[in-house]
Amino acid sequence: MTDSFKVIKLRELSLGQLKKISRDLALGLSVQEMARIQSYFKNLGRDPTDVELQAIGQAWSEHCGYKSSKIYLKKYIFGLNSEKIYSQGDAGVVLLDDEYAVALKMESHNHPSAIEPYGGASTGVGGILRDILSMGAQPVAVTDVLYFGIRKYKNYPSPEFIKSGVISGIRDYGNRVGIPTVSGGIYYSDMFSPNVLVNVGCVGILKKDKIAKQSIDKKGIKLIIAGGKTGRDGIHGVNMASANLDSGSANLSTVQLGNPIIKEPLIHAVLEANESGLIYSLKDLGGGGLSSVVGEMLYAGGMGGVVYLDKVPLKENDMLPWEIWISESQERMLLGVEEKNVRQVLEIMNDWDVTSAVIGESVEGSKLTLYYKGEVVMDLDLDFVTSPPLYQRANRITYKEYKFDIPKERENYDGILLKMLSDPNIASKEYAVRQYDHTVRGNTVIPPFTGIIGKEGPSDASVIKINWENYTAISIAHGSNPFYSQIDPYMGARNAVDEAYRNLVSANSIPIAFSDCLNSGNPERPERMGEFISMIKGLSDEARELGVPFVSGNVSLYNETGLKSIPSIPTILAVGKLKDYRKAITPDFKGVGNPIYLIGKPEIEFGGSLYFRIQRKNGGRVPYSNPKVLYDRSERVLKAMDLGLVLSSHDVSEGGLALAIAEMTIGSDIGAEIDLTGLTFGRPDFFMFSESQSMFIVEIQKGKENEFEREMGGSSIKLGYTGGQILNIKLNGRTLINLYNDQIRSKWKEGYT
Amino acid sequence: MNLPKVAVLTMEGTNNEEEAFQSWRGAGANAEIIHIKKLENKIRKLEEFDAIFFPGGFSAGDYVRAGAIMASRLRATVMRDIENFVDAGKLIMGSCNGFQVLIELGLIPNIGGDYEREAALATNLSNRFEARTVYLKITNNTCPFLRKFRINQIIRLPIAHFEGRFIPANEDLLEEISNNNMIGLKYVDPYGKEVGYPWNPNGSVLNIAGVCSKSGNVLGLMPHPERVFNKYTQSDWPRGNEEDYGQLFFKGAVDYLNEKF
Repeated sequence: MTDSFKVIKLRELSLGQLKKISRDLALGLSVQEMARIQSYFKNLGRDPTDVELQAIGQAWSEHCGYKSSKIYLKKYIFGLNSEKIYSQGDAGVVLLDDEYAVALKMESHNHPSAIEPYGGASTGVGGILRDILSMGAQPVAVTDVLYFGIRKYKNYPSPEFIKSGVISGIRDYGNRVGIPTVSGGIYYSDMFSPNVLVNVGCVGILKKDKIAKQSIDKKGIKLIIAGGKTGRDGIHGVNMASANLDSGSANLSTVQLGNPIIKEPLIHAVLEANESGLIYSLKDLGGGGLSSVVGEMLYAGGMGGVVYLDKVPLKENDMLPWEIWISESQERMLLGVEEKNVRQVLEIMNDWDVTSAVIGESVEGSKLTLYYKGEVVMDLDLDFVTSPPLYQRANRITYKEYKFDIPKERENYDGILLKMLSDPNIASKEYAVRQYDHTVRGNTVIPPFTGIIGKEGPSDASVIKINWENYTAISIAHGSNPFYSQIDPYMGARNAVDEAYRNLVSANSIPIAFSDCLNSGNPERPERMGEFISMIKGLSDEARELGVPFVSGNVSLYNETGLKSIPSIPTILAVGKLKDYRKAITPDFKGVGNPIYLIGKPEIEFGGSLYFRIQRKNGGRVPYSNPKVLYDRSERVLKAMDLGLVLSSHDVSEGGLALAIAEMTIGSDIGAEIDLTGLTFGRPDFFMFSESQSMFIVEIQKGKENEFEREMGGSSIKLGYTGGQILNIKLNGRTLINLYNDQIRSKWKEGYT
Repeated sequence: MNLPKVAVLTMEGTNNEEEAFQSWRGAGANAEIIHIKKLENKIRKLEEFDAIFFPGGFSAGDYVRAGAIMASRLRATVMRDIENFVDAGKLIMGSCNGFQVLIELGLIPNIGGDYEREAALATNLSNRFEARTVYLKITNNTCPFLRKFRINQIIRLPIAHFEGRFIPANEDLLEEISNNNMIGLKYVDPYGKEVGYPWNPNGSVLNIAGVCSKSGNVLGLMPHPERVFNKYTQSDWPRGNEEDYGQLFFKGAVDYLNEKF
């Protein structure tokens, strides 16, 4: 026997010693879990090797095993509107038409980004691209929603360092790999010091009959690893992501290193092999490395397998078998290939200068056996390895008293609107987004900013055409509001879905799929777990009524330090469909003298609202979304758009209708005359700044008012007309807001020149 | 009729090949994406083609200098073929990273005529990656890629680069470039005035966005016509921009090749 692996004398250890072994080997397992492993090996009548223990440590991590969340995901999310899902695997897939399908997924890379922001964010992009590729889809868009802190905490990196690292990481990876970064958001709040959240999404297009499967259900299928070589980077990444962040500098070796210039040809090569029908099954190597992907691919098809670890191409030749097995080195894919196609696949890889090697094959049975230089280093039943204990953890749902501090009424709201426009959560994110290439691949129909060149304002959704033959396109948007979620995780989640949905509708697209990235704190704390469950219920209740499935997602727990925890926040990635992208609609006003309508009705519900936040007041309960209302209004708006009545559209979110209209002047340089006389019976500020859900502002073709109002069935309110150089809002002859378009734009773009 | 044959060259890190391929095809050429390995291994030969397109991206990661590694690989293996290609009056175009490769290969501006590197595309003066739409003025329409435009016509194209500031090695070269009417496109404001940043996104001398060779059959430019083949990928189309600027580059080239070969 060589000294490349060790047998751990587990059977004779006490509980205390088991705990020590878990810590010494960085397995991240609890004493109870270690005891379960011990009794398994007692039954086998032998002790485990270090490779075996490491493999179990990976599979049983919260990150890979969804130990705390799976029971709730099964109850509330899985199966929801599932008749609309075409396939689920590393990403979720829905059909676009008879020929094409769309794959999407959003995923967190929070823990690595908190330790090493540049590497963490860039490998987040790399990982999500591979998830899409695993379905046999061409990635067409990268998205990212980022949550940055404000205050610096001792022993943790400064928020400024984190922010610049994360933005550069996304930029350098996305730009180099040649997939446009087209959508996302950036939030700033002290909630995210020091626990930064980096949620990255990807969307891909595939022909539905070319979808790759992710399981192996017959013996003799060869396992090929392709792409980057395996190194010591990213060892124990999943364990690190399954624990509280105890200090900002620890565990640098757990963060992987990205290399987009290996990924770029890997995408071409894998898609070429898939297009030629040479791939039997396909999966990406992410958290847990080979240990998770080989196990999952075989187990899903009811097969066992053998793998020769010494056949894996390495960055460093002296790597130990356990390191090879769990390394999370980037840019790697696992291909199951029938023997007759192996040569051809290796040739395609070679044509693209992509490293690849056959490392094993599937066999009958349920055992996975690993060899290293002729010796067996692991021989485990996949049933055991891939079935971590699932927990129904103690949870407590707390109901808070909502405080409502009434701000004083003002003569004039110019100052408030300008303050809103320059709030870091609202102000233009061009300082980041203009560093991301959003036009590469030549398919970007609606970019993140739209309007007159040099004066562009924000878009609600980005639109990407899917080919060069017809006018079919997809739309991409997000929903998330940490300020609502902090106050009410259930409604925060519902409102996040509402926002994502109405963003897609606003661009004249039909929502077809969601992906949910769920962020929370330590699930072993009952109140955290209670919040987490409330969030999942909120997503479920909202999406069920809308008839849109969650096709994929991920859970990131332990976003917590000794100091504090983040609230339970979902980021929703939403994808819609346009039959004809020439009918896509953007928020910038298009003409002068056109009627402006509000769809919906502002209510007094200001919890977490921008209006109350900038005045440092408590706003009571958060807005309540009603999916039936949202669905009805959306159908009407889409119908009016289809009839060609609508020229521009913007969803109402933070800052209410006043801020929405202000944003519509930015990209158009067309002002608006708004008269609230007779519309508001209470305070006009509550009318202007209410963030009630499911609302839109639309600009209508002149002379089409009657037709439009008929289509809206009573849910529209005429506010005024477009035109001029000024946004003017008045009530009973009194001016509430009077600002030049240029003032609005320059305030919004402050900090970006 | 035989369609003109176009090679869109690729290697690891190039990433505009798909839209370049589609643009050439849409303009009526028979385009093919060719990995430069196939040229190095002599599996394919440049003489099979009538035009070469160097796409944008980050060839070999741009970790040395933008375009340098792709150019040095080509220089080491097929430089003679490229020279013959140019001498035969065939067409070469490079956008963004492709422009950087043309400069590294000495194809642009090539005032001295011996394919030395005479210019650079340096880091943007803003010191950041810039992704947006720019206004451009056409300043030469004898180059086949620009023949479908009018002199002084103002067009819009997307840019996305970190290294795009064109600077020749010395003042004399700049003068030669101007005197020989080699400046193809310039960055301008919406009214056609040359005003500097932000309308000139990178700080190029004389607001230069694209440069042709003396004989006009080679064009390098920083903007991306291949990304806006039709107007619906032009960022401001919802405001009624009714022109398909991107495809005119490729259609001009294809017309020229059909007439000449």
